Amino acid sequence: MFEKILIANRGEIALRIHRACKEMGIATVAVHSEADTGAMHVRLADESVCIGPAPASKSYLNIPQIIAACEITGAQAVHPGYGFLSENARFAEIVEAHGYTFIGPKPEHIRMMGDKIAAKVAVKSAGIPVVPGSDGALRSEAEALLAAEVIGFPVLIKAAAGGGGRGMKVALNAEALPEALSTARSEAKAAFGDDSVYLERYLSTPRHIEVQVIADSFGAVCHLGERDCSLQRRHQKVMEEAPSPAIDAAARARIGETVTRAVGALGYLGVGTVEFLYENGEFFFIEMNTRLQVEHPVTEAITGIDLVREQIRIAAGLPLSFTQDQVTFEGHAIECRINAENPRTFAGSPGLVTDFHAPGGLGVRLDSGLYTGYTIPPDYDSLIGKLIVHGRDRTECLARLKRCLGEMVVGGIETTIPLFQDLLAEPDIIEGRYDIHWLERWLKAQG
Amino acid sequence: MPDPKAPADPIDARLVRRLAAILNDTGLTEIEVERGDLRIKVARNLGGAAAGPTYYAAPPAATPGGAPPPAAGPAETLGDLVKSPMVGTVYLQPEPGAAQFARVGEMVSEGQTLLIVEAMKTMNPIPAPRSGRLLELLVTDGQPVEFGEPLAVIG
Repeated sequence: MFEKILIANRGEIALRIHRACKEMGIATVAVHSEADTGAMHVRLADESVCIGPAPASKSYLNIPQIIAACEITGAQAVHPGYGFLSENARFAEIVEAHGYTFIGPKPEHIRMMGDKIAAKVAVKSAGIPVVPGSDGALRSEAEALLAAEVIGFPVLIKAAAGGGGRGMKVALNAEALPEALSTARSEAKAAFGDDSVYLERYLSTPRHIEVQVIADSFGAVCHLGERDCSLQRRHQKVMEEAPSPAIDAAARARIGETVTRAVGALGYLGVGTVEFLYENGEFFFIEMNTRLQVEHPVTEAITGIDLVREQIRIAAGLPLSFTQDQVTFEGHAIECRINAENPRTFAGSPGLVTDFHAPGGLGVRLDSGLYTGYTIPPDYDSLIGKLIVHGRDRTECLARLKRCLGEMVVGGIETTIPLFQDLLAEPDIIEGRYDIHWLERWLKAQG
Repeated sequence: MPDPKAPADPIDARLVRRLAAILNDTGLTEIEVERGDLRIKVARNLGGAAAGPTYYAAPPAATPGGAPPPAAGPAETLGDLVKSPMVGTVYLQPEPGAAQFARVGEMVSEGQTLLIVEAMKTMNPIPAPRSGRLLELLVTDGQPVEFGEPLAVIG
């Protein structure tokens, strides 16, 4: 086992990794920018190294400085957390080339999943369902109609050269197809200089459901169930829960098995998350994240498995500490991402935290580097804490979450705590009836 | 920003007055009641600013990179501080046994190497930012340094 690990990250996730290390008797090295000298991950680490000025490009993304920090501290392994360098295949290679262990997947898998087209091809051949679509560009209206009938209406017409929603049109049925096709073609021509379009099944009210997997170097692969992350704003997850209110045990076992088999076939190592859109009982692959996720604690809450501890064990060449049969799902967990933002406009609110009080009690976890007198720097993202609450069932979990939000105090700055308090009063949230568009619709209706 | 869901007048003035009267009658300093989503707290100002919440001090900062913390206010007022532009290990001479690049008290010229910082097997010469006297060397041979750590003072 490693004696010393360098944590190449900041904020709550650096603290999260530090905690796993300390419980395993491993010393920690924090790296930080000049803006984070007083941050909790720096204060709690056994050693810390300032690696650059405030901008992330010059500090948390500065590979030579991080390698130099390994050299001067004698750290044996690097944990990249999430964001920053966690999905940078080149960083993983450089770390290994210098004789240190990268706590994460193999660079080839990071690279494969980073290329969205290659990823879709790879997982499809490994047996994971993807959104059905036409193979290649459509030459005629007749060809489009034929393809649409095979795929099933409604269909989405997409520009082959597209992106950002331009050149995208929905056709609900065969009658609407010709017009949607010609509009999409002319938009694509205008926007990208290329009128090639293709078809995909249109999912109108999908949920975002993702499956947590973990694989060791002995070929053992397990899934740890799903997380429902449908509450999103601008493709950013806001609140996550496990298990999903939309999935039953049989569906969970089926998708879990599909993912486990595919991940095993790819020869994947470490923790990973396969993200899906879920509609009418069907799963469609979005992407695979080759790292620890922000919302991993909801899975930890219902399985009792410490994912960071497993990551470190796997990187050290040890086997998984459990088998699939030993994985059980107990109760319900919800995570709220507490951001330093205005709860309505979502404008960032950095600055001095004048008062801080953490909620507590049974089934309550707050992963946060906040303390009274801490100044939130304006240089990084606005996530300042994750409140994760566990209950024996969803009803108990919701009541406990409501209680915790009322207890938590963060003075001096604005936070998204009031947003969650409002959401917990919504019947749709209480009953678990929401899709990936729900939050944006609700925010719009609130004005 | 007004809460769009709040009723026109969320404050029950009569309730506040009643609570205030009870406060006076009983000589209490604070009453708090909760009805549904509404919570009202009436408190008597006892004069003098209320003390803020007290917290235990956070643990002291960890020692940077196993190195001693930067000396508090080295002869900064007397000269210009030369800071490390990178993380690495300091060497005061080009190779073991060789003469030191620069000694305290000597005159150095702009661009002259004061020391080197080794990082990733690369030797990075740290030049004097200007000509002057080397007043202080704040690091020792073989010492690990952080980004921004004070290395020397030139007067």
